[in-house]
Amino acid sequence: MRPRSLIIGTLSGLAVAAGIWSAVNFGPAKPDAVRTATVLPVKADVPGFVLETHDGRQVDETVFEGQWDLVFFGFTHCPDVCPLTLKVLQNAKTELEQRGFASLPRIVLVSVDPERDTPERLAAYIRSFGDDNLALTGDVAELRKLADGIGIFFEKRDADGGHYLVDHSSVVLVIDPEGRFHALFSSPHRTENFVHDLPILLDS
Amino acid sequence: MLRYVTVVLALGTFACSGYSGPPLSATDIRITRPLPGTSMSAGYLVLENHGNQQIVVTAIDSPQFARVDMHETIIENDVSRMRGIDELRIDPGESIRFEPGGRHLMLLEPQDSLHTVTLNIYSGETLLLAVSTAPTDP
Repeated sequence: MRPRSLIIGTLSGLAVAAGIWSAVNFGPAKPDAVRTATVLPVKADVPGFVLETHDGRQVDETVFEGQWDLVFFGFTHCPDVCPLTLKVLQNAKTELEQRGFASLPRIVLVSVDPERDTPERLAAYIRSFGDDNLALTGDVAELRKLADGIGIFFEKRDADGGHYLVDHSSVVLVIDPEGRFHALFSSPHRTENFVHDLPILLDS
Repeated sequence: MLRYVTVVLALGTFACSGYSGPPLSATDIRITRPLPGTSMSAGYLVLENHGNQQIVVTAIDSPQFARVDMHETIIENDVSRMRGIDELRIDPGESIRFEPGGRHLMLLEPQDSLHTVTLNIYSGETLLLAVSTAPTDP
């Protein structure tokens, strides 16, 4: 081997070794500051409520404790924004997992259409966006307690030929493992925004 | 990729030389399969007027679905509102895009098995164009 090749080879080997050492000791690289998320100056408590999960359990606000949650209010009869948003969140989780982040947030869909979104329907729907997700439904009064307490809007529209629509907030809320509202992402939602900001938010 | 398949009626003359299809074309057609737990699909496409007269699309239907609505998602102040589109006016040379997060088709109550979806595009009682495509994952 010629000396120049030997030097280049040695330096390349050292660079690879340094990279491996860095990855092992510091984990995946994290960017410095959030790009699109809005972080609340003070984390806010989630108000009390009683709702039903997609697998038939009755839960209250403590359902948000113990893990990071990405919470979206929508409904299964929404053909465009709702599946698009949930797909973005699923894709972001997949990409973060591929980058080595082990503590991935849970995706939570809160249905604003309890009239049609039964737990059975929600179970089939939410599972199509990955494992370990959660869907919530229940009485409108209980949904209002949760939504109003964290600034979420929803309103049923007049029926059009028997198929009514529901207007709803399109933000994605970030709730910390202590069940406190920490940040939000405004729409339109992009996978890369979540991939960039979530590691910072989940580290804070 | 140009995906329109079947021409039913060709009306008027063409403003664009070199184009030999009907005045209205539909490209980039994408119909999603219904998600589990739902009985609806979303549809996206690009409609282009190649003729020299305005085209007014008033309805779209499909033999594979009980109902097809033209909708538009409007997001203002982080609130999503879906509104019906009664008619779509497409000027000569103009393209109108149905795309995720904007205009879209809502296709309700599909047949049990969806292998091909046909969209019939109307102006009043007149069938302007029929196009077919295979459904895709959402």
